[in-house]
Amino acid sequence: MSFSTKEYFVRETYKSVRRNGFMSAACISTVAVSLLILGLFLLLSLNTNNLAQYLESQVQISVYMEDSCTADELKATEATLKKLPGVVKVTAISREEAKKRFEERLGDQKQLLNALGESNPFPASFDVQVDSPERIKELTPKIGELAKVETAKFGREVVEQLFSLSRIIRFGGLILVFFLAMGTLFIISNTIRLTVFARRKEVTIMKYVGATDWFIRWPFLLEGMTLGFLGAVVASFFLDSVYGAMLGRIHSTLAFLPMLPATPLLYYVTVFLLLIGVGIGALGSYISLRKFLRV
Amino acid sequence: MNNVSKVYGSNTALTDINVHIQPGEFVFVVGPSGAGKSTFIKLCFREVLPSSGSIFVNGCDVIKMEPKEIPFMRRQLGIIFQDYRLLPDRTVYENVAFAMEVIETPHRKIKRRVLNVLDLVGLRRRADSFPGELSGGEQQRIAIARAIVNDPLLVIADEPTGNLDPETSWDIMEIFKEINDSGTTIVMATHDKEIVDGMGKRVLAIEKGRIVRDEQHGGYGYEL
Ligand SMILES: Nc1ncnc2c1ncn2[C@@H]1O[C@H](COP(=O)(O)OP(=O)(O)OP(=O)(O)O)[C@@H](O)[C@H]1O
Ligand SMILES: [Mg+2]
Repeated sequence: MSFSTKEYFVRETYKSVRRNGFMSAACISTVAVSLLILGLFLLLSLNTNNLAQYLESQVQISVYMEDSCTADELKATEATLKKLPGVVKVTAISREEAKKRFEERLGDQKQLLNALGESNPFPASFDVQVDSPERIKELTPKIGELAKVETAKFGREVVEQLFSLSRIIRFGGLILVFFLAMGTLFIISNTIRLTVFARRKEVTIMKYVGATDWFIRWPFLLEGMTLGFLGAVVASFFLDSVYGAMLGRIHSTLAFLPMLPATPLLYYVTVFLLLIGVGIGALGSYISLRKFLRV
Repeated sequence: MNNVSKVYGSNTALTDINVHIQPGEFVFVVGPSGAGKSTFIKLCFREVLPSSGSIFVNGCDVIKMEPKEIPFMRRQLGIIFQDYRLLPDRTVYENVAFAMEVIETPHRKIKRRVLNVLDLVGLRRRADSFPGELSGGEQQRIAIARAIVNDPLLVIADEPTGNLDPETSWDIMEIFKEINDSGTTIVMATHDKEIVDGMGKRVLAIEKGRIVRDEQHGGYGYEL
């Protein structure tokens, strides 16, 4: 393709976007809104997934000992636990410590504990950290069968609920994204249909003087891609500020939530949105051109 | 063109047409309204396909041609219509240059060639006007300039003087004669008796879709 030809395409695209100023703007805004929602869902889904993974890695097995356990037996159990495959760290919690922790957790309502008097209902326990989430399922029943161990459990429910939540978000997002994509496709192909219609005379003349079909298509394809691209740029811009503000909020109120940091994530999401925008733009124009450019 | 027929639904526009046109000829296609002249013209540049028969233009089989070859066949043709078909939002110069741009001619060649053909049709000084600012005859001259700017082997015109007064029509015919003298074949459908009689070129008369007369130096042959 020669330089003159490329210049021609760019010039025609620019002219056409400007000539249909209002339509182009409406189209770009619609694309932007769709892509913004798509981007938000993407961020939400990535974050819940990340949260679930984080919690999963935090999960530890709590091993509660029988009350009759002696100090030697505790030592022996700790040693056994440490030798189990996949165990990374074992933290011993004595009965006194357990009581103190509970006191701390009660905070203002410490006086509730007074009812217990000098007795201590809390068992001695161990927090066992393992190297992978899969180990937990395999080790927990084994530990439960050790001598002098009352129960061994882990916080499975929370993690599994989070995973299913993340699945629901992903699935719901996928459906939503599908409809948004269809809508965007429709908007873009409609806009291009209007430009093709506005320029049907030019198209006829181009055919009469022997322009190839691809030569006729290119400016329209470029126009669709430009609209999609600009929509994606607007969407990314808003997504950037929305996510930034959200991170700020969460840091100040729910600091313990592990959120994905904005910088590499938003780069990837932006690139993704731009690709989707350009792709939908190209597809949308191609669809309306197929109908209109029959030789 | 061999044994060509064209049927539009239940309408038969052309029946069993056999014509050979030599390079460099000037041929008028005449006949009453609805005879099939425009259909004949459209068949030549594959605007429509015949229902049967075969058509060769500049040695290419127009019917068996792959769709992607059509543009390249059309680059060897110059097509002119009764209603000029200029782009109103482009200047005269841009209208003519457009025909070169869309077949991917480099810039530096376009300018000289466009000014040359505008000279040929005598409208170089109107290069920056818009079609709406020109008379019908001037617009048709621009359309002719656009048709010949890519050096076609064959110029096809469907009633190019149909909207013009007799005097202006003769100006247009002068240009056609000049183009023909430089070796370009011309096929022109027309109603204009005076022009056909005055030029004394080959005449194909079509009536009800059949060729009824083919004379080397014919006249219009109908009483109006
Ligand atoms: N697209 C079409 N669909 C159906 N019938 C058509 C079509 N085009 C032309 N016809 C018919 O074919 C016949 C020939 O039409 P054509 O346009 O070739 O005539 P013509 O000789 O150019 O007439 P005129 O001098 O009025 O321009 C007519 O009967 C017309 O009604
Ligand atoms: Mg006609």
